Amino acid sequence: MSKFVPRAKPRTSVYDIDGRAPGRVLEPGDDQAVADMLRAADAAGDAVVPVGGGTLLGVGNPPRHYEIALSTLRLAAVHVYDHRDLTIGVGAGLTVGQLASVLGKHRQFVPLDVPRAANATIGGTLAAGWLGPRRATYGRPRDLLIGTTTALADGTLAHAGGMVVKNVSGYDLSRLYVSSLGTLGVITRANLKTLPMPAAFRLTIARLPEGTRTRAATNVQGLDVEPTAALLIDGFREVLPFELGAEGAILLAFEGSAVAIERATRSVRSALGSAGVPETRIIDTGAHETFARTLDAYIASVAGRSITLRALGLPDGALKREAAAREGIAPTAALLDTIVDLRSGDVIARVFVDGKLDQLAVRGTLSDAVAALRARLPEATVLARGLPLEGEIDAWGTLPPAIGVMRDLKARFDPRATLAPGRFLGGI
Amino acid sequence: MSVLGERLIQALGAESVYTEPEDLAVYAFDAYSEDRLPSAAVVPKDVREVTQVVRIAAECGEPIVARGAGTGLCGGAVPTHGGIVVSFARMNRILEIDTRNRRAKVEPGLINLDLSRATASDGLFYAPDPASQKVSSLGGNIATNAGGPHCLSYGTTTNHVIGLEYVDHRGEVVTVHQDDPGYDLAGVLVGSEGTLGIVTSIDLRLMRLPEAVRVCVATFGDVESASEAVSQVIGAGIVPIALEIMDKVITGAVEAAFKAGYPKDAGAVLLLEIAGLADDMDASEAAIAKFARACGALSWHTARSQAERDLLWAARKGAAGAIGRLAPNYYIQDCVVPRTKLPAMMHRVDEIVRDHQIQVGNVFHAGDGNLHPLLLFDRSRPRDIQAVVEAGSEILRTCIDYGGTVSGEHGIGYEKRESLALLFSPDDLATMRRVRDVFDPAQRFNPDKIFPSSASCVEVRAAS
Repeated sequence: MSKFVPRAKPRTSVYDIDGRAPGRVLEPGDDQAVADMLRAADAAGDAVVPVGGGTLLGVGNPPRHYEIALSTLRLAAVHVYDHRDLTIGVGAGLTVGQLASVLGKHRQFVPLDVPRAANATIGGTLAAGWLGPRRATYGRPRDLLIGTTTALADGTLAHAGGMVVKNVSGYDLSRLYVSSLGTLGVITRANLKTLPMPAAFRLTIARLPEGTRTRAATNVQGLDVEPTAALLIDGFREVLPFELGAEGAILLAFEGSAVAIERATRSVRSALGSAGVPETRIIDTGAHETFARTLDAYIASVAGRSITLRALGLPDGALKREAAAREGIAPTAALLDTIVDLRSGDVIARVFVDGKLDQLAVRGTLSDAVAALRARLPEATVLARGLPLEGEIDAWGTLPPAIGVMRDLKARFDPRATLAPGRFLGGI
Repeated sequence: MSVLGERLIQALGAESVYTEPEDLAVYAFDAYSEDRLPSAAVVPKDVREVTQVVRIAAECGEPIVARGAGTGLCGGAVPTHGGIVVSFARMNRILEIDTRNRRAKVEPGLINLDLSRATASDGLFYAPDPASQKVSSLGGNIATNAGGPHCLSYGTTTNHVIGLEYVDHRGEVVTVHQDDPGYDLAGVLVGSEGTLGIVTSIDLRLMRLPEAVRVCVATFGDVESASEAVSQVIGAGIVPIALEIMDKVITGAVEAAFKAGYPKDAGAVLLLEIAGLADDMDASEAAIAKFARACGALSWHTARSQAERDLLWAARKGAAGAIGRLAPNYYIQDCVVPRTKLPAMMHRVDEIVRDHQIQVGNVFHAGDGNLHPLLLFDRSRPRDIQAVVEAGSEILRTCIDYGGTVSGEHGIGYEKRESLALLFSPDDLATMRRVRDVFDPAQRFNPDKIFPSSASCVEVRAAS
């Protein structure tokens, strides 16, 4: 019996990258099977793209060639979990939603804050370098990761870190695999810190009338009780479960004791009120669902007509960077939806065109708009797309100063460029 | 004068280069052990000088060991094969504090606590606080991914580093930042103990000082029941910002040195800190106290003032120094177990030291499962040294058996490199070596550290 289970009828749509389907889909059932499969593919010269739930395949360039999609979905075990340790070890293919339900039984959580959590896997979330809006409070996914098992292109199974929360034993290679987009190895298992769930989780959402946006953002950044997430949202109406004002909406998350949250709410109402915002809505029941749907907006594409970019930066200048993006694309025929993360400084920019243009014009317009946006925000990288990039737009933009070391690492870990060739920056 | 010495003086000036044995002696050891003298020690003023030193080292085929304050406990800053020790004593400036974005850019020689002191008036602080924070440098903290009592809630050094500038093996300056796309190179450099490059500038995250802080002391009949209380508190989903335990041996020494007010007759003392909104303090304290009582707490005291809180912490952080009152020498172990294994592990430590007829003092980051048994001995008695070495190894092996690790925050350095082979497979270690090969193909940066050698060599440190 083969250790690999090739699908009889590949559901290629899930594995497609920019419309390109893999030659075949393999679903190894354990860590060793992943390693064996990689060794075989490496020897055969087949390119392997690891795929979890496929929710973040819009990150990165399309692969140069794509013989095998390696699905991690069968690696969905909970390997170790004693809730009293506040750690959990899981297979890379466990979905973030499944993880939440396992932890929820003990009132714990891991704040990964991914879009489409029911489909997104732990491995994919880590490998794609996902960054959510509560990271200024809880840390990045890499900060919650305490150990990994990773299959390398030559079939080596390598462990790093462990199941303890403090660990300085050899190089911290787990961090290297995070945000590597599967180009150094395939994470098969991840050990994570868990957190006790705060007593209460509340969202406050306010529609922003004309002329209130900048004041509202400034006042919120000075709150005495800090929100765990603070998002200024303009657009994405088809996804969001709440209404926007003329200048969008401001969504804040508060977590903690009931007393703390009541105090925070009073502060928010006063801060927004003095910015000219008439009404702040409180969401307690259904707050998690509303937050989840807001996260979905980050990668929500308009089929055939949008490209979403993320520009990381400092919280202080985030609003100005968003304004610069807006000015940048103004001369083009493209439109812009944005999310500004007031705590982390991200600007999420979905560039799109309306339905009247034909496909050729759409492509040209989006291409121009992305170039114009990057002229202002050179750090912007592609997060999601509703149409293939097709070589006209690079997903990564400006190369980092340390690109040389990154190329050397790739050559040492995957000399035959078996793993996701060309998906990463600089052709890695 | 050697060719190496001449070239270094030519590049850096005589005032920044030491080559005489009496000047080099200070660079031959850290807080772990004495070893060989370097061929030269340099004290560069800026990154340009560091690049020159690295180039000269490459041309002369000499190893390079970066050195912060020399407080490391595993021989990480000790040169094993001559070479050049690069001291960061002069590169100790705060380059920038960005209060609005809560970030700081500093040179690696800056003392940890000086950063929090400089940012306190802006309501900010730098969270990782190793016990050595009054003297240890941030560069050294980066090398060992240093922890400290408050890592329980705030995380270790790696969670607070947002960017680094380092000099690579060719003597070129490379910058890495968490917001750059690509591999997380800063994540790999932190904790690499100076084996991948020489860090010359550090971007750090600062945190908002909490609105309210409360420090409490609970006493227990023994370490196991105190450990059980910690396990239960964490298990119930309550995470204070620090949960520290000291046994009677340590408390006695600490009280003699600091007179902080710790009860000397208790089998174990639990020191805990909660922080956050003023509105939450009473409820948080009550919840923890309930678990402490259920586990047999004999007393509970809440510090009444900032001065008392400071003194309690100063005494806790000075525990290793205070132990000099009890024995001529001590050997501090640093290992971690999953939190639920802590009571059983402490029981085993007790058995192990009894078997080897050694006195132990336990002071540890209980909330993280991070043990620090201090094995007391007299270096002049060979039997003592043998017993300490054996007991230390047994404690490490037990930690691994319990699913733990061989270092939580001190690093591997020279001391523990053989232990790494107990924790990781040859494939795991070979994978780490791939990274070493890329960053430092000539193995010039801090050789003989981290990776196991074929032969084991364990030494013990002097308390004095």
